[in-house]
Amino acid sequence: MDLKASFRPTAIKAIRCMLPLAFAAMASPALAHSENGVAIDFMGGFTHPIFGPDHVIAMVAVGLWGAFLGAPAIWLLPVVFPLVMALAGAVGVAGVPLPGVEIGIAVSAIMLGLMVALAAKPPLWIAAVLVGAFAIFHGHAHGAELPVGADAVSFSMGFVIATGMLHLGGIAFGALSYWPSGRVAVQAAGGIIALIGVAYLVRSL
Amino acid sequence: MTSFFRIALIACLLVVTTPAMAHAPIAGIGGVLGGVLHALLIPEHALSLVALGLVVGRQDHAPRRWALLIFTVALIGGLVATALKIEAPMALDVLLLATGILGLLMAAAWAPPILAWLLSVLIGLAFALDSAPDATSPDELNRMLIGSGLAAAVTLVIVAESSALLRGNAPRLVMRVLGSWTAAIAILVLSLRVVTRFAIG
Repeated sequence: MDLKASFRPTAIKAIRCMLPLAFAAMASPALAHSENGVAIDFMGGFTHPIFGPDHVIAMVAVGLWGAFLGAPAIWLLPVVFPLVMALAGAVGVAGVPLPGVEIGIAVSAIMLGLMVALAAKPPLWIAAVLVGAFAIFHGHAHGAELPVGADAVSFSMGFVIATGMLHLGGIAFGALSYWPSGRVAVQAAGGIIALIGVAYLVRSL
Repeated sequence: MTSFFRIALIACLLVVTTPAMAHAPIAGIGGVLGGVLHALLIPEHALSLVALGLVVGRQDHAPRRWALLIFTVALIGGLVATALKIEAPMALDVLLLATGILGLLMAAAWAPPILAWLLSVLIGLAFALDSAPDATSPDELNRMLIGSGLAAAVTLVIVAESSALLRGNAPRLVMRVLGSWTAAIAILVLSLRVVTRFAIG
């Protein structure tokens, strides 16, 4: 008996029958009314602040300035920012308008960048109030854009953690200021942030 | 129709099916284990337990034990109420509010025992009242509630006792930052819930 010849039709049959099974296994359900464009989950929240360069530079600047000022500002500023941001976010979610949000965000980048570039060391309470005031604009902008969806906790977790990570990134880079050459790099980064802020301000006017 | 085709067709149909679970909170898992997962996998619940555990863990030995005891009693009371089908539509809002307050206390690194006990009562009750699963039978409901209660109590004890072991400046700073994040999350979610409720009417 020719084993090879008898095996071939069986194999073809098996392949022919298994092919639909393979396609079925790979298929995903066709969902009507899916959330196109807005992911209301952890990743959606996590990427929300990261994909806004104007927000990113301001958050990084908060971390840079905190590192520049040293303790206790290094932890106080990143604590103040999300708290005030969330309160302003709640106002934004409620639909209460805040005039000049985009201008405020641009000014926040300019001011915070300048603080770092000029190595400004005001009293702690002034730094906290300044950061808190700018957090209002960022929070309101985020809150107004928050999608009202089912998985609000995961979205908010991602959103807040991403904000915190940006602060930590700024603090990590700002830690270079403990060395003389690193200090120049950090101040230069502050200057670049301020310049980008100016560009955003010009665009928003 | 060949036997191969018949088998393949059945296999295809089996692949595209999903299990028919009548109102199970977590598809495919019920009973005590379903209750355990129900407690741990709902983000609001997990967040509140971790926040309470971190605040309770900052207490001295005696107030910490009292807080754990108070939480357990409140939790049992809430679970009994849930088993008796007592509805509390605002339970999740209260849970989020208490979580937000816990976050603020963590950020401020200030948590007097009396506040920790009060929040233990609130979290215990609200957690239990918000843990009602859509069970198919009263027995299933009771099993799931027992699972949720056990998971909540054990999680709180683990977090509280673990954080009590952490001493020094670095854990305190991390706690402050985590507190601000927790409070921010609670504020955002609570505001979203309130706005959604007003929008729906």
